[in-house]
Amino acid sequence: MTASVISAGPIPGTGRAAQGAIELRQVSKHYGDVVAVDELDLTVQPGEFVTLLGPSGSGKTTTMMMVAGFEEHTAGAILIDGKPVDTLPPRDRNLGVVFQNYALFPHMSALENVEFALRMRKVPRAERRQRAEEALDRVGLGKMGGRKPRQLSGGQQQRVALARALVFNPAALLLDEPMAALDKRLREQMQEEIKTLQKGLGISVLFVTHDQDEAMAMSDRIVVMRDGKIVQSGPPEEVYNHPMTDWVASFLGDTNLIPGTIVERNGEEAVVDLGGLGMAKVRDRGASGENYAVSIRPEHLKFRTRATAGNGCAATLVSSTNLGATVRHRLTAGGHDLQLRELSSDSAARIRPDEELWVGWDADKAQLLVLES
Amino acid sequence: MSNATLERPRPRGRGAPASAEAPPRRRRSGWWLLLAPILAFDVVLFLTPLGKLVGASFADNAYQRVLEDPLVMRALVNTLTISLASTIVTVVLGYIIAMVLWRAGNVTRVILFAVVLLPFWTGILVKNFAWAVLLQDNGIVNAFLQGIGLTGAPVPLLHNRFAVIVGMVHCLLPYAVFPIFSSLTSIDDRLGLAARSLGAREGSVFRTITLPLSMPGISAAGLLVFIISTGFFITPVVMGGPGDMMIANQIDYYARQLTDFSGAAALAVILTVMVSILVAVYQRVLKAGGQHENN
Repeated sequence: MTASVISAGPIPGTGRAAQGAIELRQVSKHYGDVVAVDELDLTVQPGEFVTLLGPSGSGKTTTMMMVAGFEEHTAGAILIDGKPVDTLPPRDRNLGVVFQNYALFPHMSALENVEFALRMRKVPRAERRQRAEEALDRVGLGKMGGRKPRQLSGGQQQRVALARALVFNPAALLLDEPMAALDKRLREQMQEEIKTLQKGLGISVLFVTHDQDEAMAMSDRIVVMRDGKIVQSGPPEEVYNHPMTDWVASFLGDTNLIPGTIVERNGEEAVVDLGGLGMAKVRDRGASGENYAVSIRPEHLKFRTRATAGNGCAATLVSSTNLGATVRHRLTAGGHDLQLRELSSDSAARIRPDEELWVGWDADKAQLLVLES
Repeated sequence: MSNATLERPRPRGRGAPASAEAPPRRRRSGWWLLLAPILAFDVVLFLTPLGKLVGASFADNAYQRVLEDPLVMRALVNTLTISLASTIVTVVLGYIIAMVLWRAGNVTRVILFAVVLLPFWTGILVKNFAWAVLLQDNGIVNAFLQGIGLTGAPVPLLHNRFAVIVGMVHCLLPYAVFPIFSSLTSIDDRLGLAARSLGAREGSVFRTITLPLSMPGISAAGLLVFIISTGFFITPVVMGGPGDMMIANQIDYYARQLTDFSGAAALAVILTVMVSILVAVYQRVLKAGGQHENN
């Protein structure tokens, strides 16, 4: 398959500038005694790609359903472009929704699916046909308009779903795990295409996923949710590199968590006693709680010579696994199990089993966080 | 409490792996023996009598005789019109009930199912006489109509075609509700949500999504109900007037009053052939419609 076939362009027809600010103020959803979403504050700026990331049961889908108007929130307010939409039915919220498994109408052709929103808006037949064809063209399916959804591949169905959600120039796009049903390669391709399309249209997107790679690859901002609450939000690199709790650190990729006690904090940096691993200087983003730990991503842990200054400790190699592009080393150091990952190309014949190992890390790559579990 | 249950259940992905290959089938030579009991049963109790019936129908110029009987022609026309009317009313009412069942909560659904199934568990005589009691001149329906001042004298509600159709619809309703309900439940809820997000009002969702996608259930219900309707026998007698006799009543008349068995056999064959032709046409039309829709 070729690279991106979606060509982004201005919204045909209206030339209207997409606004699309979404704001949630203290929004809650209760099912009886169960709190699904708990006083959520969330803002999507016009043109911003915001991802709600969390495990199943974290309330991310419920949040999206409330924005779309399919679920009623039990408290708080939802605003689109500054106007409260709490009492508006879904049809009046002007949001394009792409569902997991796409929810294409099986008895209509791809073109009829895309036309649907225009038909509901009483756009004249000729105009709606033209706009639907343009929307299909934009997702690279100009020639497939006559096919029924079941005659299309998963990726093509998803493009039809995107065209259908975009054809009426919605204020924003809501995507509910739209790539869960695709295989890995197609998923990566669609991630790029959706991102390109979104940037080209300048449309705001609220994206729901449990896949941290997808969130990292696509988002301007990741909002990590757990048990109906936001646990951390920020640009992908920041959330990945500076998790505030051990839960966030583990949910977004692998990490080495080393419990410790704070010796000294001075705003930007902290000195932490890591027990068997000695004293360490680490990044401090102001996390506060009862117990603390230091998170070091496996790729930030390096083999060093003892002479190198900075954080480090003696370690013993347990095993090495070649994963193709990278090699994963399992080590023990000061009573802790550690993981170290390095590029295979850097790894050749470096380690001899009888060699005394020394591992270290840069102070700005180790993060002080709150130990919740 | 875990709130893992709060997220909507997701249908399985398209890419879900197919189940492991079925184990190779072992062929045994005596497999047809398993069919023997049902074959014997069918041959002895169904095919043989049917053959005898068809044979008997060709005796004594039976076809000419019954087709020249003006009462038979009348009964044939009655059968078609009453069955058609009952089918239409049953499917429309059945659709409404199926929609309510589909949208009902769990408790309501169980109760409604029981109510819908009740006619199934009640003898047809009981049902028809119950209706006769309700619809008679001094019955509860007429009392109500007079009570609210809608009419001064009793309205004739019994012993006419209206009564026959009421009685038949009551018996036939479950046959319409279940196929339609099952086709409604096979519609993905998300389609309705998608349509709403695309700007559809409730009425448009029904017209553009729900109704077209439940057509298989409607056509199955229509076929089933029509075929059953053509064989009604007790309801025209209990609830109809002299002019509402159906073909089954004529068969009864030929067999028991006239003891003209070849005539009765000929009528039975005529009914069977007529219904078979109608069913074939119906399915042909449906198939053509379905193909048109798929292209």
